[in-house]
Amino acid sequence: MDLRVPSGWFFVILGAILVGMGLLQPDLRAPLTEIDINLYSGLSMLAFGGFLLLMARRAVRK
Amino acid sequence: MKLAAVDYVILATYFAFVIGIGWMLRKKVSTSGDFLLSGRSVPVWITSLAFIAANLGAQELIGMAASGAKYGIMTAHFYWVGAIPAMLFMGIFMMPFYYGSKARSVPEYLKMRFDEKTRGYNAFTFAVMTVFSSGISMYALGLLLHLVLNWDFNVCVLASAAIVLAYTYLGGLTSAIYNEVLQFFLIVAGFAPLAILACAKAGGWHGIVSRLPANMTHSWKYMGSASQNPMGVELFGMVAGLGFVLSFGYWCTNFLVVQRAMAADSMSAARRTPLIGTIPKMFLPFIVILPGIAAVALAKMTGAGGAHLYDLPLKAGGTVKDYDQVLTTLMARFYPAGLLGVGLTGLMASFMSGMAGNVTAFNTVFTYDIYQSYIRKSAPDSHYLMVGRMTTIVGVALSIGAAYVARSYNNIMDLLQFVFGFVNAPLFATFLLGMFWKRTTAHGAFSGLVSGTVAASLTWGLTVAEGKGGIFGTLHTFPSVMAQNFWIAIAAFGTCFLVTVLVSLVTAPRTDRDMEGLVYGLTKIKHDEGAKWWQRPAPLAIFVSVLVIFLNIWFA
Repeated sequence: MDLRVPSGWFFVILGAILVGMGLLQPDLRAPLTEIDINLYSGLSMLAFGGFLLLMARRAVRK
Repeated sequence: MKLAAVDYVILATYFAFVIGIGWMLRKKVSTSGDFLLSGRSVPVWITSLAFIAANLGAQELIGMAASGAKYGIMTAHFYWVGAIPAMLFMGIFMMPFYYGSKARSVPEYLKMRFDEKTRGYNAFTFAVMTVFSSGISMYALGLLLHLVLNWDFNVCVLASAAIVLAYTYLGGLTSAIYNEVLQFFLIVAGFAPLAILACAKAGGWHGIVSRLPANMTHSWKYMGSASQNPMGVELFGMVAGLGFVLSFGYWCTNFLVVQRAMAADSMSAARRTPLIGTIPKMFLPFIVILPGIAAVALAKMTGAGGAHLYDLPLKAGGTVKDYDQVLTTLMARFYPAGLLGVGLTGLMASFMSGMAGNVTAFNTVFTYDIYQSYIRKSAPDSHYLMVGRMTTIVGVALSIGAAYVARSYNNIMDLLQFVFGFVNAPLFATFLLGMFWKRTTAHGAFSGLVSGTVAASLTWGLTVAEGKGGIFGTLHTFPSVMAQNFWIAIAAFGTCFLVTVLVSLVTAPRTDRDMEGLVYGLTKIKHDEGAKWWQRPAPLAIFVSVLVIFLNIWFA
C-alpha cells in the first residue's frame, strides 16, 4: 500500500469539508479571528492532499 | 467550548481512516517479524516521520504549549539542544550497531553485546515503563477532554484505547507507523493555523518581544545564572543534563523511537531515519511552543471595551495558573466550528500516535525479550505471532488500568515518573561504552546500570527543589525542579560511566570475534560513496547541524 493514497484522500476530504464550511458560512468567526479561516485552511489542505495523490500517481506510472 | 456537528464529522472521518489503514495492512502480516518489526520493509520518508511522531504524544503537545507560556522560547532547548544533536548522534554513530547486529530490540542488543541479566533488567523496566507512560498520557487526555468539552472520562479513555487497539492488532507495527505519519500531518494541519493566528494577533514576533519580559524571548542570553532565567537552570546543567544525558538517553536508547528506525528497509535508510526526522523536528517549536508564548502576550493585550484578549487559564477555584489548558483554551479563542474539529482531531491523533508507539514497543519487548527468553524458548513462529497479538490486547488493557491508577493516586504517578527517570538516566553511559569501547564487560555494564540508578535516587533523596524531595535529608537546594532533574541525570550518567569502566577493567573481556558487528572498530560501516549527498548520512548530518546552529543563534 502506498501511504500517500489514503493520506491524500484524507486531506482532500478534510479540505473539502472546510472549504464547504468557509463558503456556506463565510461570516463564521471565533472570538479572536478576523478572517474566513475555514476557507483558507481548507484550501491549503486540499492542495496538500492533491499533492500527495499526484505524487502517488507519478510513482505508479514509473 | 462546544463542538458543532461538522467537528464530529471530521473526528469520525479521521477514525474511519485510521482503522481503514489498519484493515488494508492486515494482509501484510504473516510472521511475528511482520507484526512486531514491520518485516524491515518500510520506506525511509515514512520511518522518519513516524520516528518523531511516536514521541509527539498528547502530553508532549499539551506540555510544550504549557512550557512555552511558562518559560518562553527557552523551551525550544528541548528541541535545538536536546533532541536534534541526539538524533544526529543516533543516526551517524549508533544505528550501524543496532541495525547491523540484527537485534530485534534494544534489550536484545544488550543481550548480544553483554549478557542475559543486563537484557532482563532493561527489558523488564522498559516494559513496565511503557505501560505506565501510555496510561499516564491516556489519563491526561481524558482529564483534558473532560475539562474542556465535558466529555465523560470513561468514554474518552475506553474509546481512544479501543481505536488504537483495533489498528495495531490488525496491522501490527506497520499499521502503527503508517498511522503515525498520517497523525503527524494532522497535528501540523491542526496546530499550524493556531500558531499563525495567535502570533499574528499578538503583533508578530516583534509584538511578542515587546510585550514579554526579555528572558522569555531569548533562549541563550540569560543562561549565565539560574536566577536570571524563568527555567531556573544554569548553562552547565542545561547543556550537560538536558542536552547530553537526558536527550541522548531518550533518543538513542529508548526502543519506542529506535524501533521506528529499525523498521527501515536498509542500513542506509535506518541511519537516515533520525537524520531526516530532525528537519521537521527542528521546526516543530514554531507549531507547538510558539502558541504558548503568544498566549502570554495576548493576555497582556486589551480589545474593544478594555477586556483582555485572552486570560491564562486558572486551576479550578484557585489563583494558580493551569498552563496545561493553554493549548485548548487558545483553540477555543481562535478556531471556529470546522477548524476546531481539525484541531481537536489533531490532539486525539497525537494521543494515539504516542500510545500506539508505546503499545508496539511493549509487545515486541515482551514477546521477544521476556516471553521468548524466559517463558517459552523454542516454539514455531506462528506461536510468537499469536503471543504478539495477545500482548497487544494485554498492553492496551494494562494501559487503561494504569490510566485509572493515575486518576485515583495522582501522587503515586509523580513518584513513578521519578523512578523511571532513575532507571533510564544511566542507560546512555552503558550504550556509549558498550558500542565504542570494546573492553567494556557484561559485569561492568550491569553494575554500572544498577549503581547509576542508585546514584540518581540518592541525588533525588538528598536534594530539595521547589519544596519537594529531600526525603533522606537536604544537602543542596535547587532553584527549580527542572534543574534538579538535569542534575539527577548528570549524577546517574557520571556514576554509571565510572563504575562501568572500573568494573570492566577488573573483569575478563570478551574476545574480539564475539563482538563483530556490535562494537565500533570491529564493525565494517558502509559509506555509500556512490549516492547523492542527501542520501548519505554524514553530509546530511552536517547540513542539519548548520540549520540548527542557525536557529539557536537567531533566537539567542
